[in-house]
Amino acid sequence: MVDTTKNTKLFTTYGVKTSKAISTEIAAKLISKAKKPLFVVGTGVLDPEVLDRAVKISKAKNIPIAATGSSMIGFVDKGVNAKYINLHALGFYLTDPNWPGLDGNGNYDTIILLGHKKYYINQVLSATKNFSDVKAISIDKSYIQNATMSFGNLSKADHIAALDEVIDLL
Amino acid sequence: MSKLTTGSFSIEDLESVQITINNIVGAAKEVAKEVKGAEEELGPMGPTPFPTIATLRDWSFTLFDRYEPVYTPMCDQCCYCTFGPCNLEGNKRGACGIDMKGQAAREFFLRCLTGCACHSAHGRHLLNHIVDLFGGDMPINMGASNVIAPNIQLVTGRQPKTLGELKPIMEYVEEEVGQLLATVHAGQEAAAIDYDNKAMFAGVLDHVGMEVSDIAQVTALGFPKSDPEAPLVEVGMGTIDASKPVIIAIGHNVAGVTYIMDYMEDNGLTDKMEIGGLCCTAFDMTRYKREDRKAPYAKIVGTISKELKIVRSGIPDVIVLDEQCVRADLVMEGQKLKIPIIASNEKIMYGLDDRTNDDVDAIVEDLVTGKIPGCVMLDYEKLGELVPKVALKMAPIREAEGLSAIPTDDEMKALVSKCVECGECALACPEELGIPAAIAVAKGEDYSALEELHDLCVGCRRCEQVCNKEIPILSLIEKAAQKAIAEEKGFVRAGRGQVSDPEIRAEGLNLVMGTTPGVIAIIGCANYPAGSKDVYSIAEEFLNRNYIVAVSGCSAMDIGMYKDADGKTLYERYPGRFEKGNILNTGSCVSNAHISGTVHKVAAIFASRNLSGNLAEIADYAINRVGAVGLAWGAYSQKAAAIGTGCNMYGIPAVLGPHSGKYRRALIAKTYDDSKWELYDSRNGSKMAIPPSPEFLITTAETWQEACVMLAKNCIRVSDNSMGRSIKLTHWMELSEKYLGVLPEDLYKFVRNEADLPLAKREMLLKMLESERGWEIDWKKKKIISGPAIKFDVSAQPTNLKRLCKEA
Ligand code: SF4
Ligand code: SF4
Ligand code: SF4
Repeated sequence: MVDTTKNTKLFTTYGVKTSKAISTEIAAKLISKAKKPLFVVGTGVLDPEVLDRAVKISKAKNIPIAATGSSMIGFVDKGVNAKYINLHALGFYLTDPNWPGLDGNGNYDTIILLGHKKYYINQVLSATKNFSDVKAISIDKSYIQNATMSFGNLSKADHIAALDEVIDLL
Repeated sequence: MSKLTTGSFSIEDLESVQITINNIVGAAKEVAKEVKGAEEELGPMGPTPFPTIATLRDWSFTLFDRYEPVYTPMCDQCCYCTFGPCNLEGNKRGACGIDMKGQAAREFFLRCLTGCACHSAHGRHLLNHIVDLFGGDMPINMGASNVIAPNIQLVTGRQPKTLGELKPIMEYVEEEVGQLLATVHAGQEAAAIDYDNKAMFAGVLDHVGMEVSDIAQVTALGFPKSDPEAPLVEVGMGTIDASKPVIIAIGHNVAGVTYIMDYMEDNGLTDKMEIGGLCCTAFDMTRYKREDRKAPYAKIVGTISKELKIVRSGIPDVIVLDEQCVRADLVMEGQKLKIPIIASNEKIMYGLDDRTNDDVDAIVEDLVTGKIPGCVMLDYEKLGELVPKVALKMAPIREAEGLSAIPTDDEMKALVSKCVECGECALACPEELGIPAAIAVAKGEDYSALEELHDLCVGCRRCEQVCNKEIPILSLIEKAAQKAIAEEKGFVRAGRGQVSDPEIRAEGLNLVMGTTPGVIAIIGCANYPAGSKDVYSIAEEFLNRNYIVAVSGCSAMDIGMYKDADGKTLYERYPGRFEKGNILNTGSCVSNAHISGTVHKVAAIFASRNLSGNLAEIADYAINRVGAVGLAWGAYSQKAAAIGTGCNMYGIPAVLGPHSGKYRRALIAKTYDDSKWELYDSRNGSKMAIPPSPEFLITTAETWQEACVMLAKNCIRVSDNSMGRSIKLTHWMELSEKYLGVLPEDLYKFVRNEADLPLAKREMLLKMLESERGWEIDWKKKKIISGPAIKFDVSAQPTNLKRLCKEA
């Protein structure tokens, strides 16, 4: 098992509350039990190794994908339910209880994050952290301090191994 | 209503007298009122000349109703006063009572105000200097324009004719900046949305301050005046001839540098030494006195990202600083390589001795012998003589010592071997560069991975600050990229200044009808997410698609660094008019006022709307009819926040790069809330449904590819005719397919009838609308029978302002 809870050094300071470091088991559990999850995937997913895992995670639990940045191109013809949305707008909409969501059926209780620049996703998550109840679970390679829970800072190899563990546990 | 004029009266004998002061007018406004015959010449005055904080609040609140402030705080705490620090996490309130949204809005506002103060203080300095030199009666000359100061006219209601008439405009800006700054104090404003209004106002003042600044320099310093054929100038680190003594100027304010250039000319030194610049001073050096010269000889080294790199190269023999966008560690860095630093502006004196009153040769002696690392020199005549003299003397000394921070081959080997691959640098790097992996490759004397980092690196030095092994990482990257740096040579068009009235007349209709698909204004700094090629790629994409691409500042420089297969830059391939398929560089950062001014001019010249003191109406016109979108892809500076926010108040949306979430506030509309997508038709006051574009006033994109799709989509306007709409939809669809792999989901929201659909794809799209959205199609006539949520009425008069409606 990859120890995903080590090395939670902050990229920079964001204040008082920072995300809790979690293991792959907990990540998988949280993803599995979310009532209305959304898999928020950034352009970093265009790395083929990460993309392959993202598709598997989405398929394992039939989780819809919010493809931010230019990640959408990676999901065309992959048999997943993915839609493009701008990340900053998504961060805002998540704080609105009246947002109909990407499917028209309402807002989400949990977002799962992968493939983002850490400075960008941290900034966007400072809105959901301060102004909403949405739970943000980061399974990215870097420690995302403004998520609710996050892996620590991982090497590329450990990250891929950790994603495989999450997939197995779903 | 009686009017107060300047003067004084005593009230000590008055008792039980009620004094009603409806409007206290400042000295600035009094002077401005004396501009004779202004009203007759400029048409009726709009409702908001010389606005103060509250004057434009209704308009900014109208915008906020659709474009809601979105806060992304940078930090959970507030540490403004000694009650704190307070934890505001979860929108809690601090000891003073302010909540997290209020604090985030205040912080954003403060960024805008800082930017505004920078531009306007720069404008004030230049204006005083230029009026001292040429006199206040010098007529303003911006080229072929009657609307010579669109921002000033729009905001203040005045149209200055001489340099002296710019002074009361500047006084007005300064008065308002003081009022705004006071509100940052703890225990003042509390409501987030009111800080947002103040940010918008600071942005408006910013454009006025910028306009004053560029009008003064364009008028008096021989800069190009509305010249689409402004000369091409060299740009890039590789353009500097290091075999000659080299002067490098850094900053934004060209006032002092002109004296250096004059001295070089007068003493026959222009061929014997090099003068180059970084950031906007560099642009203005290439614009200076153009008419008198064969070709500009000053070179543009590049953007703020290159500052440390050029210093460490050891190439500069002297560095002269003016103001803004200057690294705070240049004295320290310069000292290591015996590069004297001359500070020429009292705003940044860097702890150096002020030698303004000393003899030039004595100062040269102290600098050359290393007695002092640099000095302050505020007397420009002396500065002009001092800097070239220092460069001439330092060059042989520095050359003999072979001064450079770039490691030798042996040093490089030793340095890379020190790396323990702990990863601290990668964690600190704002660009998230894979530094340890690149160094690991370099251990085998393969520097290619390090070389690749060069263009991605913004030269911030955060990596070096955290490296426990004290490895000068930036210098390693520079060493690895020596060849690439030597080849960094391109061309950029020297700033052309304003867009002329005749150009607006020729292009206005196309823009408003949409047959010119839009104006993409690429402005600002170099804090890009994926290297300097981003802005080139975006500019090329939109030029190929016949958009007007307007550029300025550091982005304009980077766009000029890349060439096509024939070795040509975009400035060589595309002309520089305000016309579809052209790229026009307005100039340095302060010339951004010409980009916003161009939009005001479309309303004034093409649509004959009255500009004077009429901000809300003109901004309302712009947001509904002029398909212009700004892109500050690498916005690093607070000035970029101010420029973008001013554009927002003027009805111009802006996309920023991903780093700009750190500005903490965006303005984004809820595309899913239909009640937000309605306007009045001013012909009869009826409500009309509109498409959700622009869907933001200011927001960020993740990658340049996403930005391309966003830019194209958000050029769509209510007033597009069918031809225009189909052209705009074509580009948006093509870019979406190219960069996202899919057609836009919400395309249907923009279709009013079949004529809006591009002919080549009409049948396919009609089928899609029928099957996916249930629209009724008459297949014989290929016509839409029912379905669209918005109607086509090109003669409608869309407005957000009820007061403009006939029956209002
Ligand atoms: S911080 Fe220094 S030692 Fe550590 S990986 Fe980076 S360069 Fe190597
Ligand atoms: S100097 Fe370059 S490599 Fe170092 S932290 Fe800054 S951007 Fe990263
Ligand atoms: S574009 Fe930005 S970095 Fe460049 S000179 Fe202007 S404000 Fe400074």
